[in-house]
Amino acid sequence: MDESPDSKKAWALSQKIFPILNDFSTCNQEDTFFKSQFEELCNYMQANGLQDFLQQLIINQVEKRFRDEIVPAFWSYFQKSELHNKDLNQFYNAVKSLYDNYKEMDKITSGLELFRQCTHVTKIPYNEKTINNALKLILKATVLAQSPLNYQAVTLSFYETALRIEDVDSYLGFDSGHCAACDQDSCNCLHLLQETNRKLSEMNLLEPLVGQTFTNLSHKYIYTHIQKMCKDNYDSFITRLETWLHTVVIVWLRKMYSFDTSICLNEAMDTFQTKLVNYLYNSYTKIRINQLFNIVIEYPESLPALEDIRLCLPRTDLKPLLMKKLQRAMETRLLHHGVSTADILTAYVATIKSLKVLDPTGVLLESVTDPIHQYLREREDTVRCVMSSLTEEGPNDLAEELHKRGAVDENINVEDGDDDWETWTPDPIEAAVSPNPPKDVGSRRNVDIISMLVDIYGSNELFVNEYRNLLADRLLSQYTSDTEKEIRYLELLKLKFGDSNLHFCEVMLKDVVDSKRINQRIKEDSEYSESIVPLSTLIVSQQFWPPFKEEKLELHSKVAEQIKQFTAGFETLKGSRTLCWKNHLGVVNIEIELNDRTFNLSVSPMQATILMHFQDKDTWQLEELSNVMQCTASLLRRKISFWISHGILSETSIDMFSVQNVENKNLAKVVFCDEDFEAESAMASVQDQKDEEFQNIWTYIVGMLKNLDSLPLDRIHHMLKMFAFQGLTTECSPSELKVFLDRKVRKRLLIFSNNLYTLPK
Amino acid sequence: MAQNVNPLYEPQNTNSGKEGEMVKLPQNDGHAVTKRLHKELMSLMMSADQSISAFPDGENLFSWVGTVWGPKDSVYEELKFKLSFQFPNSYPYKAPVVKFVTPCFHPNVDTQGNICLDILKDNWSALYDVRTILLSIQALLDEPNVDSPLNGLAAETWTKKDEYRQHVMAMYKEV
Repeated sequence: MDESPDSKKAWALSQKIFPILNDFSTCNQEDTFFKSQFEELCNYMQANGLQDFLQQLIINQVEKRFRDEIVPAFWSYFQKSELHNKDLNQFYNAVKSLYDNYKEMDKITSGLELFRQCTHVTKIPYNEKTINNALKLILKATVLAQSPLNYQAVTLSFYETALRIEDVDSYLGFDSGHCAACDQDSCNCLHLLQETNRKLSEMNLLEPLVGQTFTNLSHKYIYTHIQKMCKDNYDSFITRLETWLHTVVIVWLRKMYSFDTSICLNEAMDTFQTKLVNYLYNSYTKIRINQLFNIVIEYPESLPALEDIRLCLPRTDLKPLLMKKLQRAMETRLLHHGVSTADILTAYVATIKSLKVLDPTGVLLESVTDPIHQYLREREDTVRCVMSSLTEEGPNDLAEELHKRGAVDENINVEDGDDDWETWTPDPIEAAVSPNPPKDVGSRRNVDIISMLVDIYGSNELFVNEYRNLLADRLLSQYTSDTEKEIRYLELLKLKFGDSNLHFCEVMLKDVVDSKRINQRIKEDSEYSESIVPLSTLIVSQQFWPPFKEEKLELHSKVAEQIKQFTAGFETLKGSRTLCWKNHLGVVNIEIELNDRTFNLSVSPMQATILMHFQDKDTWQLEELSNVMQCTASLLRRKISFWISHGILSETSIDMFSVQNVENKNLAKVVFCDEDFEAESAMASVQDQKDEEFQNIWTYIVGMLKNLDSLPLDRIHHMLKMFAFQGLTTECSPSELKVFLDRKVRKRLLIFSNNLYTLPK
Repeated sequence: MAQNVNPLYEPQNTNSGKEGEMVKLPQNDGHAVTKRLHKELMSLMMSADQSISAFPDGENLFSWVGTVWGPKDSVYEELKFKLSFQFPNSYPYKAPVVKFVTPCFHPNVDTQGNICLDILKDNWSALYDVRTILLSIQALLDEPNVDSPLNGLAAETWTKKDEYRQHVMAMYKEV
């Protein structure tokens, strides 16, 4: 610059008019200047073509001031340690100071504007429309450039308080009129808030500085609100939530933005609203999906929640998440050893029912229940559980299913016609993703719960066999059993499993009815006298009943005599047939009279026989009695302990038992219940049957090896499968066979070398 | 020996040795045959007789291996003979082809293992089964029919027990 006196004077003048040009921070002292001075400056600048230069100089100074003083001062408010301070002042003061400084700068720029008009400057820095806009731009840039990392924490807490003021009802439950932020009846919190917003809006800083905060805050707010509502409550909430969103959140946001003039409020709010509604649906569905396991278990109480999820699923993209989450929940909460099979089955039924609500096509159901199927298949007592709950008394999902089955049947035929090809829709996309591709849609749609359960095993047979065992147990344990009821169940089961499969059971029931009749006929016979023991016989057809557990027992001679008479009566009645007695099965009603007490009990034949022997003789050696009764001493001891626990017998010395005629008062009354008396099934256990079958297999293996010398395991298994397993109910896996063969090797009945099995010479 | 033979099939069986003159038997569906063979196998497995045995040879139910122990107190005592069974599709109306696999020195067995036994030829009946065949062959070992020999030397030496035994042991080779 020229060092002319003119220019010096002009510089001094500009420094006077625009104090900011001084490097010292003396700007606040309001120097007064005259209009003539201003005009002089304008003239000079215009004459020398320096007006643009001066403007740039001033802008630079303004920027410097922002950068070095104002904005750092603003941000310094945020570094104070008491970040969690609930009152609104911190942020308010920061904004206030910023605003005051901004106003000051605005004053300078208004001066500049005047100068521009006088000197006809057209260029505006940063290509903004007005010099004020440029100022705002500079402010925004500087503020954002220097923003500390954690400033959102402050804004967040500020607006959280603000939100609380707004939503005072839901926080306090009543409209008390006092401020939620400072717990004072009259305060200026609302005023502070509005003031802050107004100032920020005026500086065009509302959206850049706290827009993100608004979004985060409303998301967080929505989420916690939904969570609070949905906790342990399976009502339908989605409409209520949507109303809430509109009346609370959106209204609040509108209020916050109401001073902002820079954006078109309505349009911006509309997009914001759509986003929030989406977010609402998404979060709601996610929260429900996380609860889905509980929702399923609570079915049908949780039906409204399920309806909600069904509504929400198409609007969100969360089906895969739902599948994954539910499967995980099933695996961690249901499918482990701690859960009883009956509970798993209940849960399974609930799952089927509730997923049908969610997805009528059944694709979802199939992929979710697959792990349950696999797990149930591993459980040993699944079949028994299914069958017993099917036929159980009282309210029970499966039994209900069985009863309503008849009606379902007819509908299927109507729906199944070829006419519905026009309404056919392809499987949802998840069907393709699921690991095992499902069968055609038709077969899936119509399956009911029972057939789904049966399908776990792929065949009816297991279930029918189990039912046969259950039925046999029930018929044997309660001789007065209600055959009417059993027949009704059988009819229902027949619908399910087919006539031929249940033929055996039908015969069994008929046996019970026939027995009653035959008993009566024999008793009417003049040759038969029931003098000794009243006897009622259940005559079973061996071919049709499941194999009984064999136990040897010699009955007391009196009973044996009666049985002989009965057999004779039967033989005359039925011609060339006779009876083969299962002495150990049945129930004996006895009345025991001792010196000071009497008992009425229903016990097993073995227990009754023991007492009858003690009737003849007061004291028995264990050995002696076991010889008479033809049963092992250990078994006998177990049965005797039943009577000892009733205080009827006592062990006077080792292996010596005698009748306790007078009650021993000193004896602590141990109520010892012979558990296996109650729980034992009369049927041969699965293990027994399996052992017997393995015995058959063994003869085949011997025959095989005799003729073919030596064979490897897989050949043996293969040949057994071809030639031996046809008549057997169970198959055995190669590993099972190996265990069996290795046992034989240990017993030296087989030789194993070079992976070949050989018979010893 | 044969009893209760279905008269429908008996005359036809006389030609059964020659393949060319095979008279067409009523078509026996394969299922009935396999069922019968399965049943025979099962009864064989369940029988307690330790001196005879048979089992399907690998995958094919129509081809069996049989084992016969030499009868007690005979020259064949303690010797184990393997036999092969080939069942025709018309079994049991037609006899199975039975041969010795173990070389056997015997008047009615030739060097190829072919056996001359009436019930396997003319006197076959549908009532026979694998078990009766095995028992018959076991019986044949000690009671040969020296009048119609396949092995002349064996027929000649049958009466000289010591020499006969030497021949048997020379030929016997466990397989």
